[in-house]
Amino acid sequence: MGLGTEASSVAETALLANPLREGTRVRKTPAPCSIVIFGASGDLTERKLIPALYYLAREHLLPVSFTVTGCAKSPYTTETFREKARQAVQSHLKIPASEAPFLESFAQSLFYISDDFGDVKAYSLLDSMLDRFDRERGTGGNRLFYLATPPSFFPVIVQHLGRAGLAKTRDPEKNWTRIIIEKPFGRDHASAQELNRTVTSVFDEEQVFRIDHYLGKETVQNLLVFRFANGIYEPIWNRRYIDQVQIAVAESLGVENRGAYYEEAGLLRDMIQNHVLQLLSLVAMEPPARFAGTAVRDEKAKVLRAIRPIPPDAVNDLAVRGQYGEGFAGGKKVSAYRSEPKVSPSSVTETYAALKLFIDNWRWADVPFYLRSGKRLAKRVSEITVQFRSVPHLMFRDAIEDIIEPNVMSLRIQPNEGIAVRFGAKLPGPAMRIRPVQMEFRYGESFGAPPPTAYETLLLDCMLGDNTLFNRDDAVELAWELVMPILDRWKNDGERDLAFYEAGSWGPAEADRLLQRDGRRWQRL
Amino acid sequence: MVAPLQPVLESPREVDVEELEAELSALWRSAAEGASGQRVVTRACALTLLVSVESEDAAWEVSNLIGDVTRQNPCRAIIMASEPLARPGGINAWISAHCHLPVEGEKQVCSEQVAVVARGDSVRALPNVVLPLVIPGLPIYLWWRAPRFEPEPYYEDILRVTDRVLIDSGRFPHPALDLPRLTERAREAGIRMGFSDLNWVRMTPWRELIAQCFDPSELRPYLARVKKVTVEYEKTSPRRSAQEAQAWLLAAWLGSRMNWDPAEPATEASDASRTWIFNSTDGRVEVRLVPREFVGGGEGMCFNITLEAAGDPPARFSLKRGPEGICVTTQCAVEGREPVSRNVRLEVLEEIEVVNDELKYLGRNRVFEQTLAMLGRMAGL
Ligand SMILES: NC(=O)c1ccc[n+]([C@@H]2O[C@H](COP(=O)([O-])OP(=O)(O)OC[C@H]3O[C@@H](n4cnc5c(N)ncnc54)[C@H](OP(=O)(O)O)[C@@H]3O)[C@@H](O)[C@H]2O)c1
Repeated sequence: MGLGTEASSVAETALLANPLREGTRVRKTPAPCSIVIFGASGDLTERKLIPALYYLAREHLLPVSFTVTGCAKSPYTTETFREKARQAVQSHLKIPASEAPFLESFAQSLFYISDDFGDVKAYSLLDSMLDRFDRERGTGGNRLFYLATPPSFFPVIVQHLGRAGLAKTRDPEKNWTRIIIEKPFGRDHASAQELNRTVTSVFDEEQVFRIDHYLGKETVQNLLVFRFANGIYEPIWNRRYIDQVQIAVAESLGVENRGAYYEEAGLLRDMIQNHVLQLLSLVAMEPPARFAGTAVRDEKAKVLRAIRPIPPDAVNDLAVRGQYGEGFAGGKKVSAYRSEPKVSPSSVTETYAALKLFIDNWRWADVPFYLRSGKRLAKRVSEITVQFRSVPHLMFRDAIEDIIEPNVMSLRIQPNEGIAVRFGAKLPGPAMRIRPVQMEFRYGESFGAPPPTAYETLLLDCMLGDNTLFNRDDAVELAWELVMPILDRWKNDGERDLAFYEAGSWGPAEADRLLQRDGRRWQRL
Repeated sequence: MVAPLQPVLESPREVDVEELEAELSALWRSAAEGASGQRVVTRACALTLLVSVESEDAAWEVSNLIGDVTRQNPCRAIIMASEPLARPGGINAWISAHCHLPVEGEKQVCSEQVAVVARGDSVRALPNVVLPLVIPGLPIYLWWRAPRFEPEPYYEDILRVTDRVLIDSGRFPHPALDLPRLTERAREAGIRMGFSDLNWVRMTPWRELIAQCFDPSELRPYLARVKKVTVEYEKTSPRRSAQEAQAWLLAAWLGSRMNWDPAEPATEASDASRTWIFNSTDGRVEVRLVPREFVGGGEGMCFNITLEAAGDPPARFSLKRGPEGICVTTQCAVEGREPVSRNVRLEVLEEIEVVNDELKYLGRNRVFEQTLAMLGRMAGL
């Protein structure tokens, strides 16, 4: 759940006025509302949104009268949509038979409109349905639109919502209207700007929630708590003590059945431009004045603004791209990217990227940030490692043969979320021998309860009006701006400098050289 | 799947009281050696949990539950059994570890447990044995698992370092007498530490559901116009007194949140139901707690809450759990409109689940304290 809410929204302030809600134990539940999912017959709705909403409803984290209206082209009726939803919940959450009453009650809050997103009729029908729900189901005039459609429809739907008067909040004193926009937000800087222009010509920025499900992960939020709720790290979180920062987001899977999408996107767009740069901004940002949307988002944007731009002629010095060839995954032989379904046999799309960035501000001047991400790597792991500077003077003369490793702090996001610190300790015995040892903290071990999934967290945050974990227009554009020289250069270069790596390895050797040139190496993950 | 850890770690081993600290260190050394390069044991600790029980038997009973606590709240657990009337006097101590695999194939995580049984006069030495064993710098919780919270004077030193006391009014033999008494205890203790009642915690989801009924802005005004509250629970079940205490707590909570003023002492009818009259800003409010038989009941699962509110049109809000004990149906019915209802999950939480949840809070709980204050007024204190 988001770390704070700006009590800017009238609906939330009104919620607080319910005297039965006093005290921290009674969890916050959103004000009554209607949720509209565009793309309700799609994969994301089935796998993530419906299960997340079911979970929230069953655990009474949703308002009594919440209502979901699905919209898509498939000619479903409300009853077929409900049946699909029941199946989705059953297959993705594997619920026992005893949950039938919850599932049924959840299904009864689902409705469906079948139409083309380009058809005006759909929106006037939607408008009258939402009005009816307000009257009959008590949804209170609050609306949340979720764009779970192919990105090409984002502007279409936004404009139609605008024309139909659906983007306006009925009574700004009492109600809210919000929109969640899925990724990818644009495919380059120009298209992201264009989409932002379209969206903000219809909605106010405060109404817009650009989702990056990575930010809904518990450990990503924990990063903020770790940095800013513990007094001991902040004083050393800077260039005086930190030698380098590495961020790795590695996947062991290939592109699976998303070849067509991936050919258009590539790794830099799919992972670095959004998730990895988001992680970077959380690690590097200045302490926000408050744990609330504007303050956190301001600080994140400042970091992105301070990243030193990559000049087009330096791309090859600061960035490496790779594509997986044949290899092994999970002990089985797997095919090369170019042999994946719906991938061109001469594709130059990158499935791996490594970057070296600098943040030009007082805190981080000259500290390199090494980022890497790839598909079909040796294992699935996301980790941030902060390596501290070596001690200025080694006073243990006898230990000269020992390798005195610098301190490293690892913040692991998945799997086995946790934090580890490596430090030197004396080997027992009369001689002064020093060895690195690891001190570990794992969330799973210290807090046994499973955390909520990212979509549960983010849906709830949006309904509560907390945008801390969502992306703002400026951050999205800044991130695109940053990667554009790389995208352009790689596009022009074709196959030149595209490094191939074996599936199941740790990526191309060229990425190792990126660090070797600086006398450093990638952390072992 | 990794085989369970050597049983020596799992089953309690009696140790010399004076050697307790040294024995605890040895426990971890032997765990590491037992690993013989194959298995790595992590010791995890987030708090010290002191558990107060009335007898050695009760100590072994609670010892079986501690494993479920450590899974979610890794801690050093110290079970303290006092048997002041037992002869001969003396103190015995046992140590053991509770181990879990958090994720299959991962390191085994272990928490330590110490059990101390004091008899006769030696009960007064309990603090002296226990206090050196609390983990420095981490919070200390005292789980008071005896039927009433009436600590003897020798507990003073332990209470002084305790951050939070957990009691369970669900174990009170006579809620109508014991709950108001708790009010006074809590007032004394609450000055220094957090105080919580597991039975009150069990009611949190119910309170949440009641609160949700009044979230819609058009229904909010009904809250101030509530005229009648009825709480029904099972007349005959093993959970009778726990449910009765819950009904009291719920009534007191509503009263304290709504600033109702108890107008008259409770009247008790022949069916054992109790009725209070409160004054609210909108006139009189009648609150009834009714024990009754339910079809299919008997396990203490059935629980109904109804709030009736005046207005034009009037409205009625109800929450009902049936004998199956997992599903609550809530309904908001405004006369002349289609009622809005839904089913949500609300199981009776096991004692250990509530303890686990409670161990995540540290500070004082003012809503609970205010509820207890109202409860005291309802009881005419
Ligand atoms: N799937 C994931 O795991 C995932 C993860 C992260 C982000 N996303 C993002 O989420 C969005 C949705 O992804 P998805 O995988 O769910 O896509 P999808 O399975 O292709 O679903 C697309 C949805 O849009 C509807 N649609 C398309 N054209 C339409 C039209 N002209 N009129 C009405 N409905 C139309 C489809 O309806 P019909 O099928 O009925 O025509 C379907 O419901 C994308 O932006 C994607 O990038 C997805």
